Amino acid sequence: MLNEARVKLMTRMAAFEVGEGKRSMAIGTFFRSDYIAKEIIKSIIYGTIAFGLILGVYLVYEFEMFMANLYEINWLDFGQMLLKRYLIGIGIYALITYIVYVVRYSRARRNLQIYYNNLRRLRAMYKKEAAQEKLTEE
Amino acid sequence: MAKLLMIREQIKSFYSRYEGFCRPVLKFLLAFLALTMINKSIGYAAVLGNPAVVLVIALFCSFFPTNFVVVVSTLVILLHLYAVSLETVVTAGILFMLMFLLYFRFAAKDTILLVMTPLCFILKIPYVVPLCAGLVGSPTSMISTGCGVVTYYLLQYISGNRTALLTSEDDPIFQLEKFRMLIDALMKNRQMMVVIAAFAITILVVYLIRRLPVDHCWTIAMITGMLVDIVVILVGDLKYQTMVEIPALIIGSLLALAVGLVLQFFVFNVDYTRTEKVQFEDDEYYYYVKAIPKNTVSLADRKVKKIKGQTGTSQATGSDSSRRSALTAAKGSRDAQEYRVRRTAATKEREVVRSSHNSTKRIIMPEDVAGSRRERLTEIEKAAAAKARAERKKNNSGTE
Repeated sequence: MLNEARVKLMTRMAAFEVGEGKRSMAIGTFFRSDYIAKEIIKSIIYGTIAFGLILGVYLVYEFEMFMANLYEINWLDFGQMLLKRYLIGIGIYALITYIVYVVRYSRARRNLQIYYNNLRRLRAMYKKEAAQEKLTEE
Repeated sequence: MAKLLMIREQIKSFYSRYEGFCRPVLKFLLAFLALTMINKSIGYAAVLGNPAVVLVIALFCSFFPTNFVVVVSTLVILLHLYAVSLETVVTAGILFMLMFLLYFRFAAKDTILLVMTPLCFILKIPYVVPLCAGLVGSPTSMISTGCGVVTYYLLQYISGNRTALLTSEDDPIFQLEKFRMLIDALMKNRQMMVVIAAFAITILVVYLIRRLPVDHCWTIAMITGMLVDIVVILVGDLKYQTMVEIPALIIGSLLALAVGLVLQFFVFNVDYTRTEKVQFEDDEYYYYVKAIPKNTVSLADRKVKKIKGQTGTSQATGSDSSRRSALTAAKGSRDAQEYRVRRTAATKEREVVRSSHNSTKRIIMPEDVAGSRRERLTEIEKAAAAKARAERKKNNSGTE
């Protein structure tokens, strides 16, 4: 027989699974450290690509200056300066990534906790129903 | 106001009921508007300017997530710019790539502001963006709005200097010069910088005030945000000579305030809960559930009842109607008689005393005597009803 309370609970859980739950469950498959490390590595890759693009634009923009002072520029110093800026930029970007994804992970865990609690309630409902059916049979 | 509230509830009800149709239509309209505006401002590729192509692309966008509109708009912009020169498309492409790589991967929900901001600039309502972003968004919307402002100013520069940027020579030095022009247009545009700063500060101020636990916080946030926006732009104008048109700034800001008030009316304290259609199964059943949100304020369901004159509408003959009215009167008199009998029986059994302190009539019926009296009352009522029934039977037999 249809149990109204159980259908309501299952509907709520199904709505969560289709919507926000999809992302939360994907996040929930990782350990916290793994998830954050994965995102930081992604950020470092994207940040490096972005830095390369900015550097490319800068080199093209200052192309004439570089050509004119090709032998006067201390390329080692220039390289060190670029490396320093790259490391600072990537460091800041990785820190922002860390903060954002720590918050997202804890939010997803909280959502999943509610979902698992609902699952437990559902299991209890099934058990109760089965026990009642057994009693009526006896 | 009550009428407006009613309209809001009707819109909400309509949206929650037909959400499956409303969202694609809204996405279609957004894509259509965005593409039309892009074509209007930088429509250099003739193929993309064709209304049929615009309609097909907009229709295509309506089946995909909202962010797809942003991706399509970006691609259309790049295709238009390709018709101008390679340098412009490379510059715009790098700019968009930086935005997507560094920021929009964090805030996918804010991506729509990248399209909405230039759109509002083209529609001459740019000051609406920071107010609305502060009201419904988060502080990170500052970055999205900033990206939108940069996109608008780049496109504006390209459309204003098209002849200078057109592909005419294959000389690398000339190409380099065009590239530099574009980078300078982005990096040395003080007006753009002032607008970005003003919008960022406005968003932050609006966001912080609208979250305060005070009454009318949304209205206060909007008015303060509007003033802050005006002040920052004027200060920037004074310092960097950005040539801002002050009447346009003030009118635009007032218009933004009006749009903000409309937004407040439709968004503040209203839960646009969607209709959920879910499927699941257990050991016994497959469930196909459609969960429709409850409406908190019931709508006035007006029914117009037309009361017409008896002579004008009645199809019955005069004798029929008189007989019917006589029967109704007889029935009424019988009911009235029965009612009178019941009423007198009831009043006899009640003690009515006047309260001394507030001089109101009270019926006192103590609990211990109430039961027995109620029983007696029902007995009297039964007797009265039986008497009335007998009388009615007698009357009926008389008429027959």
